[in-house]
Amino acid sequence: MKIKRRTSQADVPSMAMGDIAFNLLIFFVILARAQDDSHLQWQPASAEEINASGTAKVAVLIDNENKYYVNGQQVGASQIAAEVDALLGNTPAGERIVLFKVHREAQALYFEPAIEAISEVGGDIVHVLEQKQE
Amino acid sequence: MKERRRRKLMVEPPSSATGDIAFNLIVFFLVCASVQPDSGRQQTLPRSEQETQEQSENIEVQLGRNTVMLNGNILRQQDFDAVLKRALNGKTRQEDRVVIVKSKADTPYYHWVVVTEMIESAGGIVTIQTEEEQQVIVPGG
Repeated sequence: MKIKRRTSQADVPSMAMGDIAFNLLIFFVILARAQDDSHLQWQPASAEEINASGTAKVAVLIDNENKYYVNGQQVGASQIAAEVDALLGNTPAGERIVLFKVHREAQALYFEPAIEAISEVGGDIVHVLEQKQE
Repeated sequence: MKERRRRKLMVEPPSSATGDIAFNLIVFFLVCASVQPDSGRQQTLPRSEQETQEQSENIEVQLGRNTVMLNGNILRQQDFDAVLKRALNGKTRQEDRVVIVKSKADTPYYHWVVVTEMIESAGGIVTIQTEEEQQVIVPGG
């Protein structure tokens, strides 16, 4: 006697596709947030003339508690130069833009060593500021 | 003749689409958030070798908590621009246009930004010189 093989269909449930995509997206958003500095507390200083900064690989931030961050990761003052240098790598001159975000009340004692560290490794500093309101 | 009551129809939104709606909403807000570019002012600081060679001839600006001094003279912030332009007038060589900015430890960043912006708009090249604090311990009191 011949036994017929049963053929069963195994479809991926299309109902769950949206949820899978949603969860994947949340995963990548959290991953990306770990590298940015949008969660840090700082207020920019104001200037009369400001321009669009363009794209930058590196952002150095000094928050309202005078803590240093390189691309959202907290570092010590002495580590800034090495961190920035590693992130810039072999980027040619002119494209070595480093965004410098400093809390408006931060004191020279804290921001000057950071400026020195960035220029020491050949970074082109762009002070992130807001337009002065008359 | 009695008319039949109309049938009530239950209209439910298709629940299979809620995931897609949420996904599209998230993408929308994500794009909105990432489109805001940073804006500011670029600053190129000259290398330290140049500043040490030409130090004696350069203009020196000293910053305090809310004070500004140009070559040792205290100025009001509104007068600083004009005085600096006068000091830079006639200096054509790039190395002569270097302005050394010395800040006291408590100088706030907003004050530093305003003054360095004035220097750059006057045609000066900003370079910073940090104060090295030294503690002298006298042996034997």
